[in-house]
Amino acid sequence: MLKVLLYFFIGVLPLCYMAFYLGRKKARTGELESGERFHSRPAQYGWYTVIWMAVPSLVISFIFTILGSSKIFAVPYSMHISTLLVLAAGGLWFSLKNIGSDLKARNFIENTIKVMLVTASLVSIITTIGIVISILFESMKFFSHVNFFDFITGTKWSPDTAFLEGAGRDGSSASKPEFGSVPIFAGTFMVTLIALFVAVPIGLLSAIFMSEYATPKMRGLAKPILEILAGIPTVVYGFFAAITVSPLVVQTAEMLGFEADYTNALSPGLVMGIMIIPFVSSLSDDVINAIPQNLREGSLALGMTRSETMKHVIIPAALPGIISAVLLALSRAIGETMIVVMAAGLRPNLTWNPLEGMTTVTVRIVDALTGDQSFDSLETLSAFGLAFVLLMVTLILNIVSSVVIRKFRKQYD
Amino acid sequence: MKKFLTLALAIAVMAIGTLTAQAREQIRIVGSSTVYPFASYVAEEFGATTGKPTPVIESTGSGGGHKLFAAGTDLNTPDITNSSRRMKTKEFDKNMAIGNKKIVEIVIGYDGIAIAFNKANPDLNLTRKDLLLAVAAEVPVNGKLVANPYKRWNEINPALPAKPILVYGPPTSSGTRDAFEELVMEKASKKLAGYGKKKYSKIRQDGIYVPAGENDNLIVQKLAKDKNALGIFGYSFLEENSDRIKGAMVDGVKPIPANISSGKYPVSRSLFFYVKVDHLKKVPGLAEYVDMFLSEQMIGTNGLLKDIGLIPLPDADRTAVRTRWTKRQPLTKADLEHK
Amino acid sequence: MNKETRRLSIIKKRYRQENMFKFSAIFAIIIASSFLVFFLANISKTGYTAIQQTEILTEVTYNDATLKNTYRAVPRELSRLLSRGFLRLIPREVKANPELMGTTVTRWIVANAEVDQYMKEKPNRLKSKQIAIIEKLRAEGKIKKTLNTGFFYNGDSKLPEIAGILSAVVGTIYVMFLTMLFSVPIGVMTAVYLEEFAPDNWFTRTIEVNINNLAAIPSIIFGLLGLAIFINIFGVPRSSALAGGLTLALMTLPVIIITTRTALSSVPDNIRQGAQGVGASPWQVVWHHVLPLSLPGILTGSIIGLAQAMGETAPLLIVGMLAYIPEAPTGITDAATVLPAQIYTWSATSLRAYTERTALGIMVLLSVLLMLNAAAVMIRNKFERKW
Repeated sequence: MLKVLLYFFIGVLPLCYMAFYLGRKKARTGELESGERFHSRPAQYGWYTVIWMAVPSLVISFIFTILGSSKIFAVPYSMHISTLLVLAAGGLWFSLKNIGSDLKARNFIENTIKVMLVTASLVSIITTIGIVISILFESMKFFSHVNFFDFITGTKWSPDTAFLEGAGRDGSSASKPEFGSVPIFAGTFMVTLIALFVAVPIGLLSAIFMSEYATPKMRGLAKPILEILAGIPTVVYGFFAAITVSPLVVQTAEMLGFEADYTNALSPGLVMGIMIIPFVSSLSDDVINAIPQNLREGSLALGMTRSETMKHVIIPAALPGIISAVLLALSRAIGETMIVVMAAGLRPNLTWNPLEGMTTVTVRIVDALTGDQSFDSLETLSAFGLAFVLLMVTLILNIVSSVVIRKFRKQYD
Repeated sequence: MKKFLTLALAIAVMAIGTLTAQAREQIRIVGSSTVYPFASYVAEEFGATTGKPTPVIESTGSGGGHKLFAAGTDLNTPDITNSSRRMKTKEFDKNMAIGNKKIVEIVIGYDGIAIAFNKANPDLNLTRKDLLLAVAAEVPVNGKLVANPYKRWNEINPALPAKPILVYGPPTSSGTRDAFEELVMEKASKKLAGYGKKKYSKIRQDGIYVPAGENDNLIVQKLAKDKNALGIFGYSFLEENSDRIKGAMVDGVKPIPANISSGKYPVSRSLFFYVKVDHLKKVPGLAEYVDMFLSEQMIGTNGLLKDIGLIPLPDADRTAVRTRWTKRQPLTKADLEHK
Repeated sequence: MNKETRRLSIIKKRYRQENMFKFSAIFAIIIASSFLVFFLANISKTGYTAIQQTEILTEVTYNDATLKNTYRAVPRELSRLLSRGFLRLIPREVKANPELMGTTVTRWIVANAEVDQYMKEKPNRLKSKQIAIIEKLRAEGKIKKTLNTGFFYNGDSKLPEIAGILSAVVGTIYVMFLTMLFSVPIGVMTAVYLEEFAPDNWFTRTIEVNINNLAAIPSIIFGLLGLAIFINIFGVPRSSALAGGLTLALMTLPVIIITTRTALSSVPDNIRQGAQGVGASPWQVVWHHVLPLSLPGILTGSIIGLAQAMGETAPLLIVGMLAYIPEAPTGITDAATVLPAQIYTWSATSLRAYTERTALGIMVLLSVLLMLNAAAVMIRNKFERKW
């Protein structure tokens, strides 16, 4: 780190300053000598020189480094440095030569900046492409061994042979591995469902309270409380679910005469529900507030009570927005990892009983990627297969939710 | 803004620029999660007592460890891989092909696999056959393999209690599961005519065998509470939680260090690590780390690693390992094929 | 009359429903807040004991025999009650201060985790003989609980009594620095482009939809991206601060873009028009007027993004930060761990002495996050201008 900073402060910065100084000086003396005003201010010519000197060489340096570290082609250090120096010198010479009364340095700077901004906004697109490629690529490897349809509809998850090969043991005697992801998605579904059972009523009612009943003071108190819930790291929720909630659930179940597993689906579900309350409440709050006041007043003027106004006027009007809030919370719950890793089980289990141990998609991904398996074993690859489906589900949820909310907004804008 | 942008860009570039291979001061170790606790204990001791940088240890599993180890000879590859099994000849060939000509094999001790249960229960004596029949996906009934019907221990063996079978064991991603399948299930099934005297290692999935993380607090709580549940764990886990759980006898032998060390306890395996001799000169402290690992203070009969669950090697074997190390005697293919 | 009573009873019913509804709305808020109270109380109750650490007063003898076997440096009955974290350092101590050789010093020494657990009246594995020794020490006043400062200046350890969060804290600082270094400039630039320059065409719309989608992608998937792209293709070292920082930067990017856009769009158009009117170029409008005015909003968004990234664990597990890393990193390519990952590692061990430390670590993490969020709110309230 120190080396990098040093590099920067004794190398790049003085060079840039030098270029700036040269460019500005050339413009100033040019103005004085010729007596005519240049198109732009002298300092802008300075920046013009800096850009010509620094940008091409930095870009090339970046490309070289990427090439080198991704092992496509390692550019020798001497070649790297000399290319940079030649480029910088060339850029400097070229730009100084160009400075003259009709050079539009300001426009050049503006355009360079625009290009930079576009480049920056491309990062998010590249990220998405990166995500899709990295997951698609690895999951293709997986799906070349396991039929996609079997993966989606199979009800049995037993990666036994894959495991043997991964551990380096002879797997000829064992049966074929089966990768039916239904029990795993069932676990995710169960946990998510429990979470929604907690979050939707509490979140929605909190939103109603804050927008309809609360005094500004109470609202100022209740809002931060809900925001804190969203700010607690998931690993902390996970610890809480595993250490406190899970034993509590087991005890309660025993008192009621049921048998519960310590890694039951109920405890992570409950805690996750608490976690996503703020997602439901804050979005619903916005949506309820966005309903025009005259709808509310009209209903109250007809003698409806506040709750009747809420139930018969506001909520139906706000429904699309509320649905989209719930969908967002849902996608958050499906992709949530730490709570289930710490409190849910590892057992692929197809059941309706939330007191039994179940495993979820994210748990399997973490388990497969941090376990004792070699990197190219089928079980490790299965993580990417699961991630692929997870990604698709969350994307679809998000798209549906944003379409719904856009329709809602149009209605009342 | 521009100044700031160039700054950010330049730092990003140079940051990635410094990534290109350079001499490194930390020892890098990968491999088995079973050896991991012992290796990290020694690593910490090494860092604290010598003042050198503490080795970085990542638990990647034996297979993953060997793969990283054989990925190359340069300093971007690990110096040591821990392994809960011996190197395969295939892996050895790969190392030879890539240029890791000199590798020293080191045996550090044994790991027993314990069948643990609530301390309040009376002692339990299981045979490997009992265990196999309790957890196998299919069992032989009248000469045919059928889905495992056993729900209670006494259905398998009338001498066992009439309690329901409930086994918490390692998940498919764990090395302990690998060992359990190999040492218990395959060994026992090879002797049973019902399995055609073949290795069988498929575990049932009807909720009687529950996959569970090895170090999971929740599983200890479960065992501490549920008197019917058994857990399959590495011996060190039993040691750490000896106030709440105890180990079952397997084939009449108790899982205590003496029995595991002498080989009487049937469910145990050797633990290894492999060192690249070429890295000894390039990575400072590597030799000292191995020296410390092999010292009597660590792997000796009263060594520190014994306290956290490593079963020491018999005296003669320890001396043999040390001579092999001091001579830097490289591993040969013949060694691997020999046993 | 009959009609009138019916009407009254209906009204009564309606008011009852109204009250029920109001009550249930209040009840929901109460549930949420009482959960928060219960949660914080529970974590504090689990964690507060870790603030103290047991120490034992003993004589330490420095001579040749103790250098060979450091357990001999202390009275025999205490050797298994004291922390090995101290005993193993005796040879280095002597090396640093050779005059210690041949002396006997009486001093307080950290006890091991089992003794500590016993002193805190928690389950432990001590034998009755050892308990008798401790009780004797207690009667003589030779055992005490002191402030556990080691928790803050030690790194991770396999010995619970000397395990601390220093390496994780330093790692967190490194990772967060890198996260911000990459995500804030890129995020702000993207937002400026989208809000101030972008023409309304398919390209812009693609980017917008894309950013929305990125915000919804589960964090663990960013971990897979980091593993596949940064580690496997670009050769960034596994479990390094750089790998973690880059991964988290991509994850935080949408948050920063979205908040910055909100901040930019809240600057009224007449500011822009005024600047343009006196001849400012498009970039000068942004640089001299819009950006300074929206700075508080951008700062708030960045802090919120930072707080979110700081609590994130799942993607870091995937890029290898689950390793045992007891030393603070000294460079961005060194192996590093972060506070949430440390919390996860501790919570996964079965030694119960770690539980209270996990909870104390959580308390530290939560207080940092609360402070960050409070700072964000303060900045927003203090500097935000209403137009």
